[in-house]
Amino acid sequence: MDLALSEEQEMLWKSARDFLASKVPKTLVRQMEEDEKGYVPELWKEMADLGWIGLPFPELYGGGGFKFLDLVILLEEMGRACLPGPFLSTVVLGGMPVAEFGTEEQKKAILPKLCKGELIMTMALTEPSAKYEAKAVQVEAKAEGDHYIINGTKLFVNDANVADKMIVVARTAKKQHPEEGITLFLVDRKAPGVKIHLLKTIAGDKQCEVTFEKVKVAKADILGKVDHGWDIVKKVMEWAALAKSAEMQGGAQQVLEMTIQYGKDRVQFDRPIGSFQIIQHYMADMSIDVDSARVSLHKAAWMVSEGIPCRKEIAVIKGWLSEAYRRVTAQSHQIHGAIGFTKDHDLELYFRRAKAAELYFGDADFHREIVAQELGM
Amino acid sequence: MDFRFTPEEEAFRKEVREFLDKELPKDWPGTDPDMYHEDAFDEFHELSMTMQRKLAAKGWLGLTWPKKYGGHEQPLWKQIILEEEITYRGAPGLDPYQFVGGMGDLLLDFGTEAQRQKYLPMMVRGEIKGATGMSEPNAGSDLANIQLKAELQGDYFILNGQKTWQSAAHRADLAPVYVRTDPNLAKHRGISIILVEYKKTPGITMRQLEMMSGLKAFNEVFYDNVKVPKENLLGEINGGWKIVMAALSHERSYGVMLLINIRRDIDLLIQYCKETKDVDGVPLSKNKLIRNRLADVVIQQEVARNVGFKLNHLALTGGNVVSTANAVKILGGVTTQRVAQVGMQIMGMYGQLGPVGGNWRQTDPVKDKWTRLGGRMKHLYLSTVCNTIAAGTTEVARNAAAGALGLPREPKPAPKK
Amino acid sequence: MDFRYTAEEEAFRKEVKDFLDKELPPGFLGIDPGPEEESRPEIFDIAVKMWRKFGEKNWIGITWPKEVGGQGGTIWKEMILLQELAYRGSPGMDLAIAQAELITHFGTEEQKKRFVVPITKGEVKWAIGMSEPNAGTDTFAIQLKAVEEADGFVLNGQKIWTSGGHNAKWAMTYCRTDANKYMISVFIVDLKSPGITMRRIEQATGIPAFCEVFFDNVKVPKENLLGKKNGGAEILLFAFGAERTYGLFTIYNAKRYLEQLVQYAKEAKDADGVPVAKNPIARSRLAQLAIDIEVGMNMGHELNWMATKGMPTVKPSAQIKVHGGNLCQRLGNVGQQVLGLYGPLEEDSKWVKLGGRIRHTYISALSFTLAGGTTETSKNHIAGRFGLGLPKQH
Repeated sequence: MDLALSEEQEMLWKSARDFLASKVPKTLVRQMEEDEKGYVPELWKEMADLGWIGLPFPELYGGGGFKFLDLVILLEEMGRACLPGPFLSTVVLGGMPVAEFGTEEQKKAILPKLCKGELIMTMALTEPSAKYEAKAVQVEAKAEGDHYIINGTKLFVNDANVADKMIVVARTAKKQHPEEGITLFLVDRKAPGVKIHLLKTIAGDKQCEVTFEKVKVAKADILGKVDHGWDIVKKVMEWAALAKSAEMQGGAQQVLEMTIQYGKDRVQFDRPIGSFQIIQHYMADMSIDVDSARVSLHKAAWMVSEGIPCRKEIAVIKGWLSEAYRRVTAQSHQIHGAIGFTKDHDLELYFRRAKAAELYFGDADFHREIVAQELGM
Repeated sequence: MDFRFTPEEEAFRKEVREFLDKELPKDWPGTDPDMYHEDAFDEFHELSMTMQRKLAAKGWLGLTWPKKYGGHEQPLWKQIILEEEITYRGAPGLDPYQFVGGMGDLLLDFGTEAQRQKYLPMMVRGEIKGATGMSEPNAGSDLANIQLKAELQGDYFILNGQKTWQSAAHRADLAPVYVRTDPNLAKHRGISIILVEYKKTPGITMRQLEMMSGLKAFNEVFYDNVKVPKENLLGEINGGWKIVMAALSHERSYGVMLLINIRRDIDLLIQYCKETKDVDGVPLSKNKLIRNRLADVVIQQEVARNVGFKLNHLALTGGNVVSTANAVKILGGVTTQRVAQVGMQIMGMYGQLGPVGGNWRQTDPVKDKWTRLGGRMKHLYLSTVCNTIAAGTTEVARNAAAGALGLPREPKPAPKK
Repeated sequence: MDFRYTAEEEAFRKEVKDFLDKELPPGFLGIDPGPEEESRPEIFDIAVKMWRKFGEKNWIGITWPKEVGGQGGTIWKEMILLQELAYRGSPGMDLAIAQAELITHFGTEEQKKRFVVPITKGEVKWAIGMSEPNAGTDTFAIQLKAVEEADGFVLNGQKIWTSGGHNAKWAMTYCRTDANKYMISVFIVDLKSPGITMRRIEQATGIPAFCEVFFDNVKVPKENLLGKKNGGAEILLFAFGAERTYGLFTIYNAKRYLEQLVQYAKEAKDADGVPVAKNPIARSRLAQLAIDIEVGMNMGHELNWMATKGMPTVKPSAQIKVHGGNLCQRLGNVGQQVLGLYGPLEEDSKWVKLGGRIRHTYISALSFTLAGGTTETSKNHIAGRFGLGLPKQH
């Protein structure tokens, strides 16, 4: 058993940390919460040039040929920095399903541009019922000649406002089992009939209502097999939950460090408050949450990289972090007192992101249910 | 023992409810039991001033105060009922800084006759707004560490320094400000309290701070050679710590108010669960996990609320409130946070949406098309973070509770050489 | 990065599993880690048998030098053995192991031969004479006096919470040899010595696993002093620092219980005829335990890996101890909830389920946040200079 990062991974980690520390000050993070697009195109281009956007994709298509574990290392640093923008959407919700399940034509048309930072993507999955289950997919796609016509409303779609292309999860047939009869379509945001409305969310991330009114999609733009799209969605959900867990881990780690520093700096009653036993015990608890999450995260990421099925391990880490990240930020707020409660302080950025991350691609209840299934219950 | 209210008490409660039904706007969603909403929104502040005058007209301000200052000399149980009903409805107007363990009590306990004659009547008439000047950047939990200087020069105190985390300061007319009058005495021995008329006193500037809930409800207050007449000294010079202790022990209400107010949110959630269907078409209220969590939170709130009744009882019978008040403070903070967490779990993805402050009246039908419950849960989730911090942290309250249990104090570290 | 074990390690794991399948009684439900349950007569017999068999397999002291009877093997091999034993809840692994490590580190060659070799053979049982009525978490407050004389030391005083003292031959005993609080000495004491009397103390679980041990002019030869006179502090700190296994044991122990609970939940039916495993609340709680256990096991992998790399392990050992203790208490709670009215039944009661193990662990888990160093002490270690670097409390 070897739990060390490779030299290459160490370098990726360090360079990511330095780059993000200098390019993503918290003032930018706050700005992007209010910004309509939610990302800085120049920074996006820089990340593409660094090879980050193409990291997990085959070199054949302009990617870096890296593995999921490497992507996770990068995402940890992005979570630490609260990097705003459509990175996760583009790479994990868009690029990875295309790379894994797309036809050669689709891969050629999409991946090189994506890796260069010229194509932003996302997946439109959830609807007003706000559930990550097959039976919640009700948006219809009806076959008409050599096209499909999509009608309906998707809700809480990440970064649809800036995505050039969306993978739309729609129902093409009503079968006995709700997981059957779902098909994935590659749809341009600018296609006639597509309307985007930006929601205002607790974390200022760009989640959207996307309405489809008689949107025409060619058969060639189907990703995967007709009526068998849910198989792809299940995979994407695993990748997304794991990727988000990586961001959460990075954020939690930063919060822990911030809190330790505060415990050393803040003096009340003539002593640093970090010298009070109860404060020390709070931080000890936080460190258990953070450190235990990291190794469990890496295990799941390593398994994905090795192609080892890990549905349970992914549910474990997302289930764990959904509560642990929230606990860590809430505890940090308690230790920081009033100063952490203001918008002048960085901490509340993490508190709000912890909540958004908790909900992203399945909250703790959702993942506990997966674990229950894996236990054969 | 009898957990019922007397017919007299029930009648008064009914009277207050009817008053609120009549005077509050029809769709009133309720504010939080602190000044944050009023602080942040002009509309709320204006309504608050209106309500305050109406409460005055009913003779409900200064209910227990002596008639000679304009008060009504009513029994304490009436004041308690008034506070409870107003809090449950989230109705603004009963300024806690004056009427709920605030300046009124301090003036009665420590003020000069002149001060009482000057300020209490205008408070009873509902003419002014209050605040309190306690915390500083280096004086949070360690309140004795305050450094805002007040030097006596002739007939005036000259104030220099700053306060922070002051809610309602930019709305306030009057506030007791905690100052250091003798830097040579031990920390808590050199403190005095001075009544400052904010709007009428030059040299005071304020900077609004934005809370993580998005409400601009905090202030930094800067004093630059501010002259305050020496008659405004409350109590003895350098005798302020006694008043601090009294003020903190009057603080019986904050925890109870949190617990009463949060019941409204619990009721809101229960209604939401009954009306909202899952993707299966089954009401959320039939989902076993949700039922279990909501029930859990109701149990917590009701048990804590009962401790609040006990606290009232102790206050009414002259019992020792310290231990129970601390318990209620802790329970209030923790319970409200738990409700917020469960509320967010129930709302799922929708919990992320809503305008700042969960202010239903600012809901835009286009922008807030998908917002549910006016964004109340999102606001609650962000705002309840401070409920274990403001007005004394949970840690400080636990220390006090432990002291009330007779446990020895934590030893101070040896002084550094 | 690689989370897999080598083929050799996996083969060893299989060997251990097969051995346990063969040697443990059929349908053995398992005991909690530690000597406590050995105070039950039927468990004691299995423990003595297993301990000897571990010796015969050369499984005691896998990482110890061959000169003292060890294998000179890897930490991984040792961890695999201990994990499998904890997971199966096998009796037998004696407190002697940790004491042998102290002797290997601080003892003379003669002491290593005299004491460690028999330990590797599984021939002898040990106890730890550390806590006293006035010395629990404040270990250095011990008062059991050892006065040096011409031909040895004379011990007067007492110990308490000595697990398995009545079954042990030797006790690693921490004594006061100087008025200075931190000047203590460590002796290897023959518990059959004249002057030693014991009183059994029944634990909350109902098992009389604790002893109070009274020393009345007990003579200990000079050869039984471990390390230097007044040099015991170093030994004590080494013992705490080397304590990597306690938290791990609790987590692997919990894994066994969870599997038993899950099996129960699948089979037991509600009043509606629906399996308990389909009850959303039971599912959620059991799943959360599974998550906690999995996360804890990963922490264990990391801790062991750090030990193999010679990295400092005080903080992660403390973290895993806190996590494990808390999780076992939660498991006891959830187990009781899942079993409902059957939860409190004793193991010899009619109608009892799962052999009464849930009742047992519900109580025994209380000690997992106390024994071997309390959770509070662990958190102090995590927060302090071995971990987060927060300023000293005093």
